[in-house]
Amino acid sequence: MRIGVFVCQCGTNIAATVDTEKAAAAGSLRDVHHAETIQYTCSDPGQRAIIDAIREKELTRVVIAACSPRMHETTFRRAVTRAGLNPFMMDMVNIREHCSWVHSDVDTATGKAIDLTSMGVARVRKQASLFSSKVPVTNRVLVIGGGVAGIQAALDIADAGLPVTMVERGPSIGGNMARLDKTFPTLDCSSCILTPRMVEANQHEQIDLMVNSEVDTVRGHVGNFEVDIRKKATCVIEEKCTGCMICQEKCPSRAPDEFNAGVGESKAISVPFPQAVPLVANLRKEHCRQFIRGKCGVCKKVCKSGAIDYEQEDEVTTERFGAIVVATGYEPYDWREAYPDYGGGQYPDVITSLQYERLLSASGPTGGHVRRPSDGEEPRQVVFISCVGSRDESVGRPFCCSVGCMYIAKQAILTKEHIPESQSYVFYIDIRAGGKGYEEFTRRAQKEYGAVYLRGRVGKIYPSKGKLMVMGTDTLSGEQVEIEADLVVLAAGFAAAEGAGELARKLNISYDQYEFLSESHPKLRPVETNTGGIFLAGACQGPKDIPGSVAQASAAAAKAIGLLSKGELETSPMVAAVNQTRCTGCFKCRDVCPYNAIEAVEARDGHQTARVVDSLCHGCGVCNVACPPAVISLKGYTDNQLIAETLELLR
Amino acid sequence: MAIRVSTTIADGAALVADIERRSGERVSACYQCGRCTSTCAAAFAFDYPPHRIMRLLQLGQVDKVLNSRTAQLCFDCMTCSSRCPMTIDVANVIEQVKMIADEHGIRVNKEKSIRLFRRAFLKNVRRHGRLHEARLLTWINLRSFKPFNDLAVVPLILRRKKVHIVPPKIRNRREIHRIFHEVNGNGGGNGNSDRHGGGK
Repeated sequence: MRIGVFVCQCGTNIAATVDTEKAAAAGSLRDVHHAETIQYTCSDPGQRAIIDAIREKELTRVVIAACSPRMHETTFRRAVTRAGLNPFMMDMVNIREHCSWVHSDVDTATGKAIDLTSMGVARVRKQASLFSSKVPVTNRVLVIGGGVAGIQAALDIADAGLPVTMVERGPSIGGNMARLDKTFPTLDCSSCILTPRMVEANQHEQIDLMVNSEVDTVRGHVGNFEVDIRKKATCVIEEKCTGCMICQEKCPSRAPDEFNAGVGESKAISVPFPQAVPLVANLRKEHCRQFIRGKCGVCKKVCKSGAIDYEQEDEVTTERFGAIVVATGYEPYDWREAYPDYGGGQYPDVITSLQYERLLSASGPTGGHVRRPSDGEEPRQVVFISCVGSRDESVGRPFCCSVGCMYIAKQAILTKEHIPESQSYVFYIDIRAGGKGYEEFTRRAQKEYGAVYLRGRVGKIYPSKGKLMVMGTDTLSGEQVEIEADLVVLAAGFAAAEGAGELARKLNISYDQYEFLSESHPKLRPVETNTGGIFLAGACQGPKDIPGSVAQASAAAAKAIGLLSKGELETSPMVAAVNQTRCTGCFKCRDVCPYNAIEAVEARDGHQTARVVDSLCHGCGVCNVACPPAVISLKGYTDNQLIAETLELLR
Repeated sequence: MAIRVSTTIADGAALVADIERRSGERVSACYQCGRCTSTCAAAFAFDYPPHRIMRLLQLGQVDKVLNSRTAQLCFDCMTCSSRCPMTIDVANVIEQVKMIADEHGIRVNKEKSIRLFRRAFLKNVRRHGRLHEARLLTWINLRSFKPFNDLAVVPLILRRKKVHIVPPKIRNRREIHRIFHEVNGNGGGNGNSDRHGGGK
């Protein structure tokens, strides 16, 4: 056995705190036939030095003491492969993140580096060659969420030729963007640019659209996920419904209008909005007379196509997917409980910006005429308050919603266009307009549309003689200000979609304290999650505007396409293995395995033993620990290797 | 005149640090949204509204803050503290400013009566265990050399039985003394009995 030791200086990153020459003295250990220090091991000459040493000194195993294996393990595995070794005959020792960066005393750090390197040598002595295998992947992608991000991802993937299943929880795709009137900073009509995409997604041959559906359970792993999708009973047979809306017209039960964000009313059976895709009615049992009182049946009577079925039940289908794109989006922060000073929802004329969006929209409940909810009057003095549930630690939401400043400017402009004699006031703290054309847009709201911007947060709103008194501050003049407003619009912050955390747990991906889903790396892996094969798109990952969501959706699509393009995936050989001759068949391993990677095999005598399915095993090592007779070991991390390492440390 | 920030921040650092230590708040946490000022009930009488006090402290302008009317006039209603989005106890910061101003012997002329009231109030509570309004009012009138101030309303108040001539009796007056003793550190004399009690 001929071992080579290479100690990296990483410029001064390591060499400033660790005497690398001394660390290379691990070269005096048994079996070590070569030891050297290299300034930058990961550089081309550094790798070349390793390859040359392997060839010249006929080394069979290599220890590289450098940075974290997370950084360069693949680099060095490739290097030793080029020199003709099995890639797993290389062991990396972390003397940077775990040593030079966290210590300041040279002697201590050097001592630790020597220990770590010697342990690496002891470990690699017991290393065996490992070979990865290939598994076929399922060529189908699941997109969860039918907002603009989900639609974009689905279209991109489908256009690349891969079949897509798009699962949407609500009765129509389109998401929050379908609710918007215009978009900043171009004032494009939101539904005019979105509906063509919605229709395209619905008609695309490669896209299977499932509305009123949710993900129940997820099994399997990258390349081969198995997902149960629950299609909720809506009492309407989707294939038969023509979207004629006669049921909605005749339905006697009133219900809140969810699409219009609670402004206006709808019926218990309704088509969510005129451009809904698919254009299918949807019955909400909690508001329906047939279900509350047990008799009504009006919709069934009037439906000409016989699409109503009160007996309909949830249907669960199981499908296989190679990759999953999560695009569950956001919902406006529910400000009511946290802001009693703003009325806590008691004053009808204090509304959220999404509700105002519906009042501005021609397809909204007022037909595009701005009327305040309390008395239907046209408001003259409109106050916008930014950062409601954003940048507010006292209500536990310290982050910026990133779009509030922009949509307030947009709504101030639209208010002036709808009601020329109106006056808008905008309370802001900082104007965040960091996009293309954004700053110019907020300036336009002030210069051309006369919106008065007041720098300060509102302390209190109270009703007075049919008006709303808004008590605020203008910090620029240092004065308290009061405004008699007809309508107050709150720029409610971003919150993750309801149930985002629950879905994340099903998918085994991480999420933050606000239930926004976590990307794998904030800079370099912004659409990947920590679970292979699952990608993020849009506002489910954090507050985002439309172009940001669309761009991320295309990026997620590219990742999913790239993953499945090869048709098969290389698996890591560092998986668990059961010594079958000594297995007692207790199956404790099967109970603890988080990936369902343990199966039972029957020997000829009928005795059952455990076997690891390599393609499912992640090499987490839980079974290794749980096995009572200790006959499971993790390849590349065998008990023998760990013992050898420990003994070396104690020596 | 311009504030020479490059020197004021360093010059004021020690006092600002003192205010931060006593109040347990970081003045740098304030991002000047002005919500404290929005509903401040006394801001009309202040020279610097609450958010300005925070800003001046951030810039190390301790002199301005210590000599401000705000420090003397704030009556600790704590509305600012309850509304601050950064959960800064603004009233407490101003309170500490008030105390430090007092320790430094800073007297803002117009606010003499406020100091007089604060001192009288604490003295009164200390003696009786709870507020004895009749005595407080008499004391203030005598000390401010306006013995007939508000005399006209006295019969009215007495008839409504809102104010009693006989001092109130509380059970454990010793306990009150102990509290004052602890707050003052060494019991203190009349002269500095309002040192740490402030207007509370």
